[in-house]
Amino acid sequence: MNYWYETLAVAQRILIELFRRRRSLIFWSIFPISVLLLNGLILAERAKLPFDQAFENAAPGSLVGAALFFSCLGGSVATVVSEREQLTLKRLFISPLSGISYFLGIFLAHSLIGIGQTLLVYMIAAFWDAQFNGSIWLGIVIILLSIIAYVGVGFVLGTQLAKRTEDVNALVAAFGVPLLILGGAFLPTSLFPKTLLDLAQFNPIYHMNEALLGVSANGDGLAEIEPHFRFLALFALAMVIAGWLSYRRMLQVERRL
Amino acid sequence: MLRIENLSKSYGKRPVLQDLSLSIEAGEVYALLGPNGAGKTTTINIICNLLRADRGQVWINDQPASDRTKPFIGIAPQENLLYRLLSCAENLQFFGRIYGFHGQRLQHQVQACLAAVNLSDRANSVVETLSGGMQRRMNVAIALVHQPKLVILDEPTTGLDIEARYEMWELIRQLQQQGITVLLTTHLLDEAERLANRIGILRQGRIIAEGSLTELRQYIPAQEILVIQTPDPEKAIELGLQAGFTPRRYDNDLAFWLPEHLELKELIDRFEGIEIDSIARQPIRLEHIYLEVTQSASRSPE
Repeated sequence: MNYWYETLAVAQRILIELFRRRRSLIFWSIFPISVLLLNGLILAERAKLPFDQAFENAAPGSLVGAALFFSCLGGSVATVVSEREQLTLKRLFISPLSGISYFLGIFLAHSLIGIGQTLLVYMIAAFWDAQFNGSIWLGIVIILLSIIAYVGVGFVLGTQLAKRTEDVNALVAAFGVPLLILGGAFLPTSLFPKTLLDLAQFNPIYHMNEALLGVSANGDGLAEIEPHFRFLALFALAMVIAGWLSYRRMLQVERRL
Repeated sequence: MLRIENLSKSYGKRPVLQDLSLSIEAGEVYALLGPNGAGKTTTINIICNLLRADRGQVWINDQPASDRTKPFIGIAPQENLLYRLLSCAENLQFFGRIYGFHGQRLQHQVQACLAAVNLSDRANSVVETLSGGMQRRMNVAIALVHQPKLVILDEPTTGLDIEARYEMWELIRQLQQQGITVLLTTHLLDEAERLANRIGILRQGRIIAEGSLTELRQYIPAQEILVIQTPDPEKAIELGLQAGFTPRRYDNDLAFWLPEHLELKELIDRFEGIEIDSIARQPIRLEHIYLEVTQSASRSPE
């Protein structure tokens, strides 16, 4: 029960801080909308797709490939780094807050932000008559696994590599942007040359994107997206473990007043 | 409430704590004094179970220090560790919930802590809009939100103006009246003198003097201190020694320990023959004791 209360407390705190920074909240909304509009319009124009199909194809990549990447991964890194900069991390070390609750709290807060972005993306896609063609539950599972993976990576980067706020942008740009492009967030993977496509097989964003694209645009079931789903599930699990180990290491190194 | 037995800790080859032992009774205010690098923060880290001692043991409320003893301790560190975008009440609610407080009990604690630090009227103010003094008080309020038995205040009045300092002192007295044990570290000897039941002086990881102010006064075998300003200090020292006074230098002041109480006229008579700009009798303060204890410790071999 304590875990639950602690998790809620951490999540609520992150969300209150986000709502206090109204400008950030507006930017988190503008970003997926603009990516979706650009992707949708480019697909409609260049692939000669009707608007509904163009936006059905653009929505998954815009969501898991771009919006969740920045909000959940970038947001998790920023949460940990800002705790370190404000020194509140030390206050948490003194308290009985468990690492599990801390991780789950960050995950919960970013899940809610991710759900908000999901609703936003699909509402705007629906404006062009795009539909979610597959199982909504499977889509939700893919989105949640993507958020877990991003938060896990964010924990690793935030606890081990990013020591200051300025590091966050550099890290996200250095690791993120190439992975996003290679994952098909901005350009359909169907346009990739074979060598890039072979490389993309090792990119978790590619599998998130392909899994959600399959379910959302093509109406695929679990069987059709199974290789992508399996990769995503294993990657999410690995990132939770890596995030946990990173947190433990940070505790050993930084647990001082 | 707090018992530290033979605590030793080294960073690499540099010893920071050497067989440190002390105990603080419930409801006591204990001031831990010492120069920078004496081991105060390391001691606090070990008490809070943030750092492992190489040797020795810490007992809190009769339990060995561990993660299970964390709820007994409330700490206000040197820096203000606050969520700047949260309001005062939200900060307290967050930390209260982490310590397992909910519902009415949590709300009551939040209100009580805000009242204790005189911030009830700023409950909904975002922390970053508060003055430095108010943030300092919030830092202490967070240490109290889970009703700890032992409160550690690490230089609680550093950077506060005199009014805010008085308020903080009043708060510490209130904590003591409520039976809460307080471990206070401070560089302000005046603060320790006013608030502490007992004082420990830490140097190079060891307690070199400990006791109440009355007990510590025994380190200076004198009734009071005479401070003289004269253009001829050498001669004044010579005359002072002849009169049986022990000379000392406190900053730029020439001072003498007076073994007995003497009237001012008698004192002036003892320094007849030299020009005296000013002469004043002072009671023995913690500052004098502290300097005597630390300087004599640095003179004596390790």
